[in-house]
Amino acid sequence: MDVDKAIENYDDLTEKVFSDQKWWGDGKFKATKLEGVIKSAVKDVTGDSESPLVENEEAGFSRT
Amino acid sequence: MNGNIPALFRTYQPRETPIECTIWEAARATSAAPTVFKRIEIGRGKQPFIDGGMGRNNPSLLVLEEAKKLFGARQLGCLVSIGTGQADIISIQKPGLFQQIIPTNIISALRLMTTDCEETHEEALKRFASLPNTYFRLNVEYGMEGIQLSEWEKLSSVEAHTVQYMKREEVDKKLTSLVAAIRAPRGQLTIEQLGMDKHLVNLNCDLTLLLSFSWASKQICTTHQKEQALSISSCIICWTNRHSQ
Repeated sequence: MDVDKAIENYDDLTEKVFSDQKWWGDGKFKATKLEGVIKSAVKDVTGDSESPLVENEEAGFSRT
Repeated sequence: MNGNIPALFRTYQPRETPIECTIWEAARATSAAPTVFKRIEIGRGKQPFIDGGMGRNNPSLLVLEEAKKLFGARQLGCLVSIGTGQADIISIQKPGLFQQIIPTNIISALRLMTTDCEETHEEALKRFASLPNTYFRLNVEYGMEGIQLSEWEKLSSVEAHTVQYMKREEVDKKLTSLVAAIRAPRGQLTIEQLGMDKHLVNLNCDLTLLLSFSWASKQICTTHQKEQALSISSCIICWTNRHSQ
């Protein structure tokens, strides 16, 4: 993911996650919403939202 | 979970047993700041994680320790530390609606973070004192204090403050040396020679860190991505491109 795309994703993430405040329970914002946005960004880059963190040397994509 | 011992999420195979998880779990675990998001349990043992932001926002010394384990005998090119902006301690202390919503212990933690952030930076400065153009820290000094993490609608002000910071004469000079150090690193010492045993327990503070070594093009990046850090990196990259043309 290049820097421009990362900024675009971050803008999108903050708006989706922080515009909806929780009024009860653990944490002020919804963790499930955050998880959803992260998973979709991961899927865009690797093709699989459940990709493992440890990099596969042959995968050939950059996560930086 | 022991809050005093940091858990490191790595994208490469470490020598010790790795934390087995997916990318999204690692991202979630490093965002689980108490009172912001609930904690997450991951891995085989369902280990709970909270964000290191409450005590370890500046991982500069920690990343040096990691680099020492992995590449101790190699020469150090440079270390670039990027802050999320200087917090205004006085504005945190002001009573009012803010304090009614955010518990007092979080406010004292924020105050502690700012102090410890600068302490880690001071410690890094000392370690690199005899090595010119090796350690660089960028941190927007004014304007960010009124902006909270959740204020997504203020991202354009974050960008404006960052651009203002980058225009300053001393920052511009620092960037020139930084770009030169990344493009043509001159190894002066090995990581082991830097000597990084003392004070490691006291690591605390703010942000994203890029580590650039003369022998590797690969960057080690912490998973914290906050708005200021992102916009600074973007500016640096644009700036690097401009200067290399």
